[in-house]
Amino acid sequence: MTLYESFIIMHVVGTVLGVGAATFAEIYYTRFNSDNILTDDERRTLAVTYTVLRTGLFLLVISGFAFLLYFRLTEHVGALTSPSFWAKMTIIGILVGNALLLQARIMPLAIGSAISLTSWYAALVLGVIGKTDATYGELFMYYALATLLVGVILRWIRTRLHAPTTI
Amino acid sequence: MTTTLAALLIVHVLGGIIAIGMHNVVLMHLLKKAPNYVFVSRLAWSAFVLFILSWATSAYYYVTYYGSAVKPRILAGSLPFAHTFFMETKEHIFLVLPFLALSIALCTTYLRMNPDDDNLRKGTAFLTLVALVVGVVTAASGIIVSGSI
Repeated sequence: MTLYESFIIMHVVGTVLGVGAATFAEIYYTRFNSDNILTDDERRTLAVTYTVLRTGLFLLVISGFAFLLYFRLTEHVGALTSPSFWAKMTIIGILVGNALLLQARIMPLAIGSAISLTSWYAALVLGVIGKTDATYGELFMYYALATLLVGVILRWIRTRLHAPTTI
Repeated sequence: MTTTLAALLIVHVLGGIIAIGMHNVVLMHLLKKAPNYVFVSRLAWSAFVLFILSWATSAYYYVTYYGSAVKPRILAGSLPFAHTFFMETKEHIFLVLPFLALSIALCTTYLRMNPDDDNLRKGTAFLTLVALVVGVVTAASGIIVSGSI
């Protein structure tokens, strides 16, 4: 196995863990919070899911910079100026910033979870499609629209699952 | 590029990125009401050591290789601003980072002994945010410089 292949495996594992954990974090939170109460057991389950998510992000970032180094040392630097690469980097930045804002309780959970879920899937999609003719602005417009759509869908699901507060 | 210079470049990039990641974790913990200061201060000191390592390796690479072999290629290429703006900014802003990291590490050590000092916790969180932003800007500038060769 070459060094490049090991970076690809690390990058894919990071993406799989991140996207999977982000999806299940959303499912668990929506399910657990449907009665407005989070038990200790439910909190522990969510904490484990968030740990997996952060592990995925760590692997993704480290392998991403390993790719960067690989391209730099082998003089294949064209990828480093492509719009999809910079869109992906921006989305990873948004993911980290969103996590900080959620932790500081500045970002409302409904918006923060939509951003988190969409960002993970957007990073996955951009990684899969690789080179594209779309500009940075166009990619970002699709991302913004997808975030809005995911936010509306999540709100609809939460409203449907939420237990009535009065009898 | 020699193997030693390539190794130094790898240490510079990965050391810097891991240190930035550590500052991110430090900030996440400092935003909590009751952070685990033992963990936070260990992480802050580790970030400081990694920034020093990243700083030293990049200094050697810059002085012995970048100026003579990389800079002329960037200036002759299609993106000369990668050096004239981004590298010039990066090499000056990056000077601040180890000192920011040292200040954060000292603050977290003080917080470890005085966990009830909420003002210092908030101040340290703000300083860590500044260090994080500077770190991210420096890393992004590095990518632009690498991509413009």
